[in-house]
Amino acid sequence: MSSKRVSNMPPPPKPPTTLASTLIIAEHASLTGTHLIALGANTAIHPRTKLISTFASITVGSNCIISERSIIGLQSEPENDVEREGLVLEDSVVVETGAVVEARLVGTGTTIEVGARIGKGAVVGKHCKIGPLSEIGEGEEIPDFTVIFGNGMRRIDRSGVENQKLKTIARQVEVLRKLIPSNLAKFQ
Amino acid sequence: MASFTPYTYFQCPCTDTNLPTRRLGESRPPSSSSETEQEDDRTFDPRAPRANFSLYPLEHLLYCEDCHQIRCPRCVLDEIVTWYCPNCLFEVPSGVIKSEGNRCTRSCFQCPICIAPLSVSSIGAPPEGLGAEYVQPSGPYVLNCAYCMWSSKEIGIQFEKPNGIYAQLSKVKNGGTPIITPKERRKDREERSRDSSVPVVMEEGISEEGEEFVNLDVHEELDAESQFANLKAFYQSQLAEASPASALGFTGGDYGYGSPGALSRIMGLYTGGNFADKRSKSKTGTMREAQDALEGLQLCNTTSDEETITRLRNEGYENTASVAQLKEQTHPAHKHSVDDLRPIAYLLRTKRSQRCKTCRHILSKPESKVQTTRFRIRLVAPSYIPSISIRPLASSQNHLLTPFKPTQFLLTFKNPLFDRVKVSIATPGTTPGRFESRVTVLCPQFEVGANTDAWEEALREGAEREKRRTKAEASEGQLQAEAGKVWERGRNWVSVVVEVVPTSLKADVLMKEEDRGPVREDEDVVEIPVFVRVEWEAEGQGDDTVVGRGEKEVKEKRELAYWCVLGVGRIAQV
Repeated sequence: MSSKRVSNMPPPPKPPTTLASTLIIAEHASLTGTHLIALGANTAIHPRTKLISTFASITVGSNCIISERSIIGLQSEPENDVEREGLVLEDSVVVETGAVVEARLVGTGTTIEVGARIGKGAVVGKHCKIGPLSEIGEGEEIPDFTVIFGNGMRRIDRSGVENQKLKTIARQVEVLRKLIPSNLAKFQ
Repeated sequence: MASFTPYTYFQCPCTDTNLPTRRLGESRPPSSSSETEQEDDRTFDPRAPRANFSLYPLEHLLYCEDCHQIRCPRCVLDEIVTWYCPNCLFEVPSGVIKSEGNRCTRSCFQCPICIAPLSVSSIGAPPEGLGAEYVQPSGPYVLNCAYCMWSSKEIGIQFEKPNGIYAQLSKVKNGGTPIITPKERRKDREERSRDSSVPVVMEEGISEEGEEFVNLDVHEELDAESQFANLKAFYQSQLAEASPASALGFTGGDYGYGSPGALSRIMGLYTGGNFADKRSKSKTGTMREAQDALEGLQLCNTTSDEETITRLRNEGYENTASVAQLKEQTHPAHKHSVDDLRPIAYLLRTKRSQRCKTCRHILSKPESKVQTTRFRIRLVAPSYIPSISIRPLASSQNHLLTPFKPTQFLLTFKNPLFDRVKVSIATPGTTPGRFESRVTVLCPQFEVGANTDAWEEALREGAEREKRRTKAEASEGQLQAEAGKVWERGRNWVSVVVEVVPTSLKADVLMKEEDRGPVREDEDVVEIPVFVRVEWEAEGQGDDTVVGRGEKEVKEKRELAYWCVLGVGRIAQV
């Protein structure tokens, strides 16, 4: 570890945060930007997750899981007032590894799978599933219960098991609580 | 268009009635390409429409050790070794295939929407309280797609047990109404025929019949399977009646409809003359057609078509099954909507062994166990025939061949055999086709070393190794091929140079008037037919006789000759 080059630059200013006391946030997660980042109760933030609030605020609900190497937050200047309002992930949203979320709103119980990209200003409904590597364009609106899979195929999920899924996510968070050493103090 | 990968295809001799081996077996110097042309009006033309069917990459070919010949997928016989399910890797006995069909009859299903594998999951309320996580989940169960989140609940199907889904699914229609199984139908049919004193329904008896049987509706809408079962049963009973069993137990001698003789009679219907006529006359009027749903008759009603159309209108594109989805279904003709789709039972796969068509020896035989990927026998051509690879001698940025500019290509022959081989190659002076490029092989005859141990070569003295490299003599940078000499030589490979003078693709170079016209697809590719003859001395195959004589090594002379096609490059269209 000693051979690691230490940057002479002063560390970037910490963004203002509102963190719930039951939040699980790994030490190596990165929170940058100038706008407010609000993270809800029982949410798990994996190491190497990037939350960027440079252009707009980020609000994450409770029971969310945000996996490593995913990027949450706008990466360019917002083009209209609606986008400027900030990014909201509702409760029980799962963002998997490497996903990029710039959406305006992601509804409850939605899963954004590995490597998927959600364009700027998009609105994803509740209980959706955005399949691996799928892309959602800027400003697109995805209705509730949509499943996007394969090469951009879409369908509406009518299986009605969303409550069970929410329970599964809650259980998963409980496991992550044991696995991820949380360092809340670093980000406050 | 910019990139072109040179290719080599080998011709399987099975398409040739008179084998080139015999014809060219004599001592004909393959170097004289002009002679080839004169003597040989049968130069293999890779552009002939039929050539497509006999050219294969070397990796697709097998080699019969007994016939000493190349074998392509068209001249081998396939035999099924095992049937297995690709999902559960369960080996299915062939007897079961005959009775149950070629799909997995356990619990392996594919999603009808996205063809991902389905898994069984419980949708019952999970038990609560202490130790709840140790309790096995209880039913009802559904098939669930983890990829597109489809579940069999959407088509109204749930299961009581988590195993044996195939059997459970075959009893329910989409929506949950039970299917009357063929067995039940048969029972019902038998009962009916017992009840009515008349064995088979008479003409006017339909209405009476309908009242007598409570179980089945005469105007029932049948699905494809049960309709087939009904029709089959009906016609079988008709056949049995039409040709009553004789005293000996045979059905009506040779004349019954069900007899094997019936087929030959049908075949001779137009050519055979009297015999067929006489018989068919005596049989007229004894058979009738199916009359109701119980016998498999389904009236086509126009209202159902209209219903389908209105359904398509109301539900829209989202709920209409795509062609790809319908293709996977067993009876796609009656299905239109996504709700009509059923889980797809996995199609079984096979492991096959291959036999030579001429001598029936096995060329390839996989291990019969499903889990192993090994082969017991595998006589593939690449381990018998020298492979040929092509590469331009002077590497240039431009991938296209310039017309009239001589271009040299390096052909590398790699010997897979453990004996030294003598290779002779011959090409026609010009490539066949409308645009004739001139081809010259600079070294048509050479010897390729045996495929010995790679280390043996490395451990040899350096001096000897250096001698092998004739290329070293050429001055640096100056790449010049010398006629009659091998370009480069290695342990079991030899490179020779082929010079190609591409022709122009302009129509005015064409001599004949009728040839003129625009360049057709792939006509700009220079394809060189090459006749390769390989000679080597192998150890005797007839082991018994050799041992009997007490001789240690009897060398047997072998030779193999075949046509290849080398695709070297595209000609630039100026």
